[in-house]
Amino acid sequence: MGSRYLLRRVATACFTIVMIVVLNFVLFRAMPGSPERILLGRMPGVTAEVLAQTRARWGLDKPLFPDQFVAYLNSTAQGDLGFSYAARGRPVTEVLAQHLGPTLLLFGLGEILAIVLGLTLGSYSGWKRGSPVDYVGNAISLILYSMPYFLLGMALLLIFSTGAGWFPTFGMLTAGATYDNPLDVALDLGGHLALPLATVALGLIGQYAILMRSSVVETLSEDYVTTARAMGFRDDRVLRRHALPNAMLPTVTLVAINLGYVVAGAITVEVVFNWPGLGTLTVDALASRDYPVLQGVFLLLSVAVVFANLGADLLYGVLDPRVRT
Amino acid sequence: MTAPAVPADGGPGAVARPAGRKPSVLRQVLARPDGMAGFVILVVFTVLALVPTLLVGPLQTAVTATGPRLAPPSIGYPLGTDELGRSILNLTVHATRVSMVIGFLATIVTVLIGAVLGIMSGFVGGRFDAVTMRIADFFLVIPTFVLAIILTAIIRDVVGTGSTEILGIRLSLITIVIVIGITSWSSTARIIRSQTLSLKERAFVDRARVIGAGGGHIMRRHVLPNVTNLIVANAVLVFAGAILTETTLAFVGLGDPFQPSWGQILDAARQVGAPSLGAWWYFVPAGVCIVLVVFAFTLLGNALDAVLNPKLQARR
Repeated sequence: MGSRYLLRRVATACFTIVMIVVLNFVLFRAMPGSPERILLGRMPGVTAEVLAQTRARWGLDKPLFPDQFVAYLNSTAQGDLGFSYAARGRPVTEVLAQHLGPTLLLFGLGEILAIVLGLTLGSYSGWKRGSPVDYVGNAISLILYSMPYFLLGMALLLIFSTGAGWFPTFGMLTAGATYDNPLDVALDLGGHLALPLATVALGLIGQYAILMRSSVVETLSEDYVTTARAMGFRDDRVLRRHALPNAMLPTVTLVAINLGYVVAGAITVEVVFNWPGLGTLTVDALASRDYPVLQGVFLLLSVAVVFANLGADLLYGVLDPRVRT
Repeated sequence: MTAPAVPADGGPGAVARPAGRKPSVLRQVLARPDGMAGFVILVVFTVLALVPTLLVGPLQTAVTATGPRLAPPSIGYPLGTDELGRSILNLTVHATRVSMVIGFLATIVTVLIGAVLGIMSGFVGGRFDAVTMRIADFFLVIPTFVLAIILTAIIRDVVGTGSTEILGIRLSLITIVIVIGITSWSSTARIIRSQTLSLKERAFVDRARVIGAGGGHIMRRHVLPNVTNLIVANAVLVFAGAILTETTLAFVGLGDPFQPSWGQILDAARQVGAPSLGAWWYFVPAGVCIVLVVFAFTLLGNALDAVLNPKLQARR
C-alpha cells in the first residue's frame, strides 16, 4: 500500500481525535454552574475561603488556557477521565470498563449477523431485480430502516417475552440465580441475549440490504460483467467471481460510517432490555446529570468510531488498488 | 415539506402542454406511485398536526384525565388509556403536532446552515472551504447522537426550561431543534458544496462576473436558484432524520412531559413497563405514526431523486 495514502488517513484520524478531545474540554467548561460548585455539591453556607481553597486545590484559579487545558490533556492522555458523581466517586474509566463488555458482546454479534444476512439478502435482491423476493425484501428493508431500534425492541419484547413467554424481559443474567456449571450460565445469558441481539441485527439488516442491493445493481451494468457473461460463464459464477467482490467494496466504507449512527440505536436498545452496557449507562448518567461519565462515554465512543473508520479506510486500500494514491 | 399543490406551468386548465416542455417536478413526483403514496400519508399527518383539538378535543393532562387506568381499547377510549387515565388517541394525535413541528423547524435550521455553508464553501474556496469541510467531516464521523444528548442537557441546564413558548413549542423542545441543527448540517453542506463547485465553472457565472457582479450577488442570484432542487430533495430526507432524532432524544428522557411528542409517549410507555404488562395500545399507535411518517418521507425522497436524476431512473 502506498505510504502516502496510509499517512494521510492516519493524519486525518489523529486530527479528528484531537478535535474530539478539545470539544470535550470546551463542553466540560460550558457546563452549568461553575465547576467548583459541582465539586462542593449543594452544601449550604460555603464560605468564600473554602471556595477559594477548592479552586486552588483543583487548579481552577489558573487561567483556562493554557494551564487548565494542558492539565486536562495530561490527565486524559494518562487515562484519567475524572470521577463519577452518581457512582460515589468511582473513576470514570472503571465505570466505563465495567459496562464495555456487555455492549461489545451485543453489538459485535449483532453487527456480524447483520452484515452476513444483510449482504446476502441485498445481493440476492439485486441479482434477481424485479422478482418477488426483491419486492418483499425491499419493502421489509425499507420498513426496518424507517423504524427506530427501540420501537422494534419494544415490539419484540411484547410479542416474544410477554406474549409467548419464551424469553426473559430484562437484564443480562437472571437476578439471584445460582449456577451448577458453565453451561447453565451460557444458557441463561443466551436467553437474555436473544431478543436484544435480534433487535440490533434486524435494525441493521435493512440498511445493509438496501446498500448492497444498489451496489450490486450498479456493478451488474459494468462492462466486465457483460464480458464475463459473453464468455459463457454460468450465472452464479459471474455473480460470485466478478460482480460480488466489486459490489462489496462500497459496503466496507459504509458499514464503518454507519457505526456513528449505530451508536444511537445501541443506546436505546440497551435501555429497552435493561442490558447493562454503555447505553444504559449513558441514559442513567443523563438522568442524574453525571457529566464526567457522559463526557467519558462520548470520548470512548467517538474514538472507537474514528478507529473503526481508519480501519475501514486501510482495508479499502488493501482491497481496491485504485485508491492507493 | 408539502409543497403547494399549484401546478407551476399554466394552472389547472393547461392540459395541452406544448410539446417538449416537461411537467413540473411536483407533477412528475406525484405521477409515480411511491411519490403519490408518500404525499398522501404526509397530507393526512399534516391535517392531524394542524387541527388536533378539533379532532380529539384539548390535550388531556393528569388533572383532566377521566378514563380508567391503563385500560385496553374500548368504545369510549378507542386506543385505550395510559397509567393516568388519559386517552391514548388524544395523546397520540396531539403528539403529531409536536413531532411534526419540531421536525419541520429542525429541518429548516439544518438545511439553512447546510445550504449557506455549502454554497459559501464551494464558491469562496480556499482556506474557508478547507476549514468548513474539515468540521463537516468531523460531524459526519463522530457519533453525533451522544453529542446531541450532552448538548441538550447542557443547554437546558444553562438556559433553563421555563414556560416560554416559540411557535407553540416550549423552550425545552426548541433546544432540541437547535441541537439537531448543530449536529446534522454536514451532509447537506457536502452535497450543496459539490454542486456549487460544478456551477462555479459554468459560463453564466463567468458572464455575471464580467459585468461586475460581486460574490454575494452571484451566490444569491445565480448559484442558489440552481441548487434549490437539490436543497428540497435533501430537506425531505433531513425531515425524516430529524423526526427520528427527536423521537430518540425524547425516548432517552429529553422530551417534555408537558408537551408530549411521539418519542415522549414511547418513553412514558417504557417507564411504566407497557411491553412487559402487555399494554400494546400504549406504544403501538405512536410507533406506527413514526414509521409511517419516516416511510412517507423516504418514498417521497426516492421519487424526487428519480425525477431529478434521470440517469438513476434509467438504471433502476
